[in-house]
Amino acid sequence: MSGQRDIKRIFEITPGVLSWGIILFFVALAFANPVLCAVLIIIFDFYWIIRTVYLTTLLILAYRKLQKQKYRSWAGDCEALSGPVNRKDVYHLVIFPVFKETPEVLLHSLESLRMSEYPKDRLIVVMAYEERNPLSRRNAAVLEEEFKDEFFAFISTFHPDKLHGEKRTKGANATWAARRSREFLDSRGITYENVIVSCFDSDTCVDPEYFACLTYHFLSSPEPHKASYQPMPVYNNNIWQAPSFARIVEISASFCQLIESMRLEKFVTFSSHSMSFKTLVDIEYWPVDMISDDSVIYWKAFLHYNGDYRVIPLYITVSMDAAYSSSFFKTMAMQYKQKRRWAWGVENFPYVACGFLKNKRIPLFTKIKRAFNLLESHVTWAVWAVILVLVGPLPLLLGGKVFSSMAIGYNLPKITGLLFNFTIITSLTWVILSRTILPPRPKEVSWTKNIVMILEWVIVPFVILIVGSAPALDAQTRMMLGRYMEFNPTQKHKEVV
Amino acid sequence: MSKDQVIRGVLFYAAVAVFLSGLPFILSSALGYKFNPHSMKFTKTGLISIITDPEGALIYFDGILLKDKTPASIRELLPGRYDLRLELDDYNFWSGEVFVEAGQVTRLENIILFPVRPNLKKLNKEKISGFWVDEERGRIYYFDSRENLVYTSGLKGEDFQDVGMLPEITPPPKRWKVSPDKKKAVFFNANQAVVAEMEGEEGRALPDAAVVLNFSGRRLLDIFWHSDSFHLVAVTDKGVEVVETGAAAIPVTLLEHLKGAGDYYYNEKEDALYFLDYPEVLSSGSGDLFKLDLSLKSSIFQNLLRPKSDERSKRY
Repeated sequence: MSGQRDIKRIFEITPGVLSWGIILFFVALAFANPVLCAVLIIIFDFYWIIRTVYLTTLLILAYRKLQKQKYRSWAGDCEALSGPVNRKDVYHLVIFPVFKETPEVLLHSLESLRMSEYPKDRLIVVMAYEERNPLSRRNAAVLEEEFKDEFFAFISTFHPDKLHGEKRTKGANATWAARRSREFLDSRGITYENVIVSCFDSDTCVDPEYFACLTYHFLSSPEPHKASYQPMPVYNNNIWQAPSFARIVEISASFCQLIESMRLEKFVTFSSHSMSFKTLVDIEYWPVDMISDDSVIYWKAFLHYNGDYRVIPLYITVSMDAAYSSSFFKTMAMQYKQKRRWAWGVENFPYVACGFLKNKRIPLFTKIKRAFNLLESHVTWAVWAVILVLVGPLPLLLGGKVFSSMAIGYNLPKITGLLFNFTIITSLTWVILSRTILPPRPKEVSWTKNIVMILEWVIVPFVILIVGSAPALDAQTRMMLGRYMEFNPTQKHKEVV
Repeated sequence: MSKDQVIRGVLFYAAVAVFLSGLPFILSSALGYKFNPHSMKFTKTGLISIITDPEGALIYFDGILLKDKTPASIRELLPGRYDLRLELDDYNFWSGEVFVEAGQVTRLENIILFPVRPNLKKLNKEKISGFWVDEERGRIYYFDSRENLVYTSGLKGEDFQDVGMLPEITPPPKRWKVSPDKKKAVFFNANQAVVAEMEGEEGRALPDAAVVLNFSGRRLLDIFWHSDSFHLVAVTDKGVEVVETGAAAIPVTLLEHLKGAGDYYYNEKEDALYFLDYPEVLSSGSGDLFKLDLSLKSSIFQNLLRPKSDERSKRY
């Protein structure tokens, strides 16, 4: 047992050591051998630009798919499907883990369910409250009064605090709700195989066609229980009201998810997602002691099914709130904390690595590939902005006159500048696409905001400095030092439009 | 494999191919190597970086006009000596020999091209014998020693105007110095000095408030402002004196019987007078350098600032 803990600890330390090692290596090299450091920086810069162009191309492809499927009648397509399971037999179990969110925030999410074009008598809505919030029962009563007759069932669950083996995480609450839902399904004689469970952030507003789209993919998939279903998260609920800093970060997050949807071998669940309830029961629900429950649930299933598990992208959006606060600095701090919580997804690496060590059925190549991809993505996240922004000028600063009199000393800033000019093209693509995923401008928002929303992209370098590498480096350092993070939900800011 | 995955695979390998094929050229260019397609070899080269003020000069490199204008860099040069000439209309050309070393950058980044017709403008509108520029106030003060007149103008000569007339001293003052606080100026000849207060608000001198200081019986060699802008340190052929700039001020002799003060220098920061004196005979040509501390903290000057009635003079 102690040995297992030691191995897990080694895997916890690995990402932080690698990230800091790379950064310190570059800094030391800038002192010791500025020429070699400059060469490595140029290689990294070139690699990064090729990567940016490549990923932007994937973004365009994903965006095209999103646009193509925007006006597709998923309900009609479901009707046309012929398979062992009839659409009418499929139930959707929608779980909203709630902590301190007010009924106003939840109202929008539930309203979007009510507006869904999917038959409401096939929707089971579970509001998963935390019992430690004294307002939970009052909030539950308010919402039950409003929605109790709208769906097949509208259930409120209250997750007791400090259950054995649990931490105060969203996953623990969702798991409690799923267990209560299981009891409900049993009482109604509904088979788990016919239930698709969706675990949504409390501010998630679904597209009216979402459940039809999900049902279509579930029914048309050859192995529907060996897959999670990932919609494209956008932060459109309050995107027009959000300040520039928050808007850029959230739009970029949506774009990153779109890009990931094109890289299926690396694609994992994120934020609001759906899966077979049978699978959820088989893998014993969400983790109750980890913060990144949304991605760990995928890895749990991956390990359970010996690597035969995938994420199917749904090119349909679910809209959430952009996180912002009353002042610029508070917004920056809030965004930083949210991104640090996302970066805490690095806890997946020790979980997966330990799981791979135990599992003998997953092919070794698959294990190495997936573990490497996971590690590489987190390490890259932690170091890229530091290398580009902070390490890049070091050879010139530390190299002295000898270095600056060398051809490479002269060429380093010019070549990196030239290479980064290429990124203007990709940046323009992002600006254009960002305009097209926006919802219509609310009437109370001035038309001049359209101009602001184009010009604001010039602050991207500043945004990169704040939320580029720092949150990931912070999260990895904490895990490396054994200072584990507590779950701290982002305070959502709902403005009634 | 789906169509998307095929497209993605193609894109991925295309990106890898671009990276691997482009990297050698980028790195070799960065390190100063030039690829020779005939010999299929890389040759280490050097480069020249040229920045001129003003920009836009034509570049003649070994007699050949280049397409680029300054600022520019001339790359992939084999090591050796090159002739460079920079030309810009209405400016003097710059030319020189440039040596290029392998893997090195020769920086010619401080080249100033001076105009053929200097941008010269006469500022004064009356005859003057001296001037002082007050950058802080953006004013120039002019002094006409023949007529004892003071003028002022803006830094470009605009707003040239008569300020007033100084009290007449004979012969007319040839030299003048401005106090550290820029509020007063002292004008002096060999026997007299005139201290005039400068008005800050309007940037004008007030000669009416001028004070005349007499140095009869000795020859005034130079005069310095103490850092307090209230005392003057006068070097005469007889010794060193300090005098307040108020009306009816009496000079206090600090040193006398100098054999013949030679060079002297006043350090305003530490209020110290450095002077060369010849203890023996002036014609011997050898002397001693003395430093007279006049700072406020020095006891001698503290006593001077609070002079006792019976202690007006201190001997060195």
